[in-house]
Amino acid sequence: MTSSASAVVVDGLSKRYGAVEAVRDVAFEVERGEVFALLGPNGAGKTTTVEILEGFRERDRGTVRVLGFDPADRSTSRELRERMGIVLQELSVEPFLTVRRTLARNAGPYPHPRPVDEIIELVGLGTQAGTKVKKLSGGQQRRLDMGLGIVGDPDVLFLDEPTTGFDPSARRGAWELVRALSGGGTTVILTTHYMDEAEALADRVAIIANGTIVAEGAPGSLGGRDRAEARIRFHLPPGFAASDLPVQVTGGRDGLLEIATNREIEVLARLTRWALDGGVDLVGLTVTRESLEDVYLELTGSASEPEPAGEAPRVRAGRPG
Amino acid sequence: MSATAAPTRSRARDLRLALDQVGYAQLSFWLNPVGAAFTVGFSLLFLVLLGATAGHSRIGFLGNIRVIQYYVPGFMAYGVMSACFTMLAVSLVVRREAGLLKRARLSPLPTWMMLTGLFGNSLLISVVQVVLVLAVGAVAFGVSMPANPAALVVALAVGATCFSALGVAASTLIPNQDAAGPIASTVFFVLLFLSGLWFPIRAGSGLATVSGFFPVRHMIVATFSAFDARPGVTGWAWSDVLVMAIWAVVGVFVSVRRFRWAPWRG
Repeated sequence: MTSSASAVVVDGLSKRYGAVEAVRDVAFEVERGEVFALLGPNGAGKTTTVEILEGFRERDRGTVRVLGFDPADRSTSRELRERMGIVLQELSVEPFLTVRRTLARNAGPYPHPRPVDEIIELVGLGTQAGTKVKKLSGGQQRRLDMGLGIVGDPDVLFLDEPTTGFDPSARRGAWELVRALSGGGTTVILTTHYMDEAEALADRVAIIANGTIVAEGAPGSLGGRDRAEARIRFHLPPGFAASDLPVQVTGGRDGLLEIATNREIEVLARLTRWALDGGVDLVGLTVTRESLEDVYLELTGSASEPEPAGEAPRVRAGRPG
Repeated sequence: MSATAAPTRSRARDLRLALDQVGYAQLSFWLNPVGAAFTVGFSLLFLVLLGATAGHSRIGFLGNIRVIQYYVPGFMAYGVMSACFTMLAVSLVVRREAGLLKRARLSPLPTWMMLTGLFGNSLLISVVQVVLVLAVGAVAFGVSMPANPAALVVALAVGATCFSALGVAASTLIPNQDAAGPIASTVFFVLLFLSGLWFPIRAGSGLATVSGFFPVRHMIVATFSAFDARPGVTGWAWSDVLVMAIWAVVGVFVSVRRFRWAPWRG
């Protein structure tokens, strides 16, 4: 299990706060250079898991290795932290220092920091280098936070909700940066509740709910959605019964007929030929496949809604009860 | 891989890194002009106001000295106590709640270096205030220099240790940044009042007995003792120093037991 290629190894990880079991038997591995996303509602155990990996919290049970180190081992914590970068949810720096000084200060403890000016350019704060941190806008502060995470040239980077509060273009910029880092061999552990972020960035996603990992895999195949049946929906044309159709209807919802199938091209061809031949309109015809959000909601329960991804609303697939 | 960091780590680099923390803390302090002016200016302002209004009346039970001769050591003590106790308590709560302590904890900066920055900063600001108060007292009011400089250094050093420990301890009892300033200042000012910063308290009085349980009175008395030039007075105030030392131990004990790096939630 503990191959040297793995940047992070977690096995049987458990942590309880009093009566609450925050994390239960969590296991995953992250290869070097991989982007791994932990996706889950608030209180699911994401932060606890990441804080244990960072060495900020102690675990109750299980094995944890980050770059081969046990993060709970105080005797090697400095060595490990010299190779770790962290982007926290809120900006946490001295308000009266400038951007450049803040980065220089945080670069100090690392043995091989990246040049401060390089970081300033990378995160796009060139014109704010001499500005006091408290005068930065919210988005600029988040970008500084990203800069603080990578100033030590880390081998492993922890990103906790990295683009919350970013405008769309800053968001794309941050994604580009993460991709560039990962391309350069940096391992990235990401927590997020943005589906599109996990989908855009992560090589692998683990969905965590109620302290356990309920699904893990590449974003495109998570929950088996690459193998799941496509759903074809349309309104039954007036004057026809479902039995008049050339294909087998499997369900219906909201006044729409639904056909769940693995052979959607064939089914569509028969259906549309029938419609064309008969001069019939198939109102509201759609073909959908489960989105990552559908899988997420299914696995985490609808009690905790993910935040809107800031894009056009998706067609949500109706599932037969 | 783990050997790569070794050649760059050395005692000299660590020392330099620790001193850098003091430097950055000082920068943060002085680059916030309002905060700096209030912290450092407060003791000077009171000294000048009190000196100008009541400075020349005399205190019979302290050898008929001028009131200003009492206020100068009092505000030196005040300067150390505010720089160590109030500043540390407030800044630790603000930094904890803002996530700065968490970030420091997660960086490769060893804890002792972070503490060096915090305590070194308070110590430097204490020294600045002590020197300024003494200088203004001497130049503007002709206050005489300490009769026993060694006793002064001991009193201030033990006081700085005691109030730093209590400052950290207090921060572990304050829930959030909005409460930090009011709680720390209120406790501090009530004790200052009872302990005779604004008006001298006769030893053995009821007020002296009550305030004698707390370290503030002992800090003021020990500092004043070093200036006390009455015949037969050595300037050493060992019992006061001892009480401060005991409070220092209490402060360290509470700090170690209760210190948290993460913001309090809920």
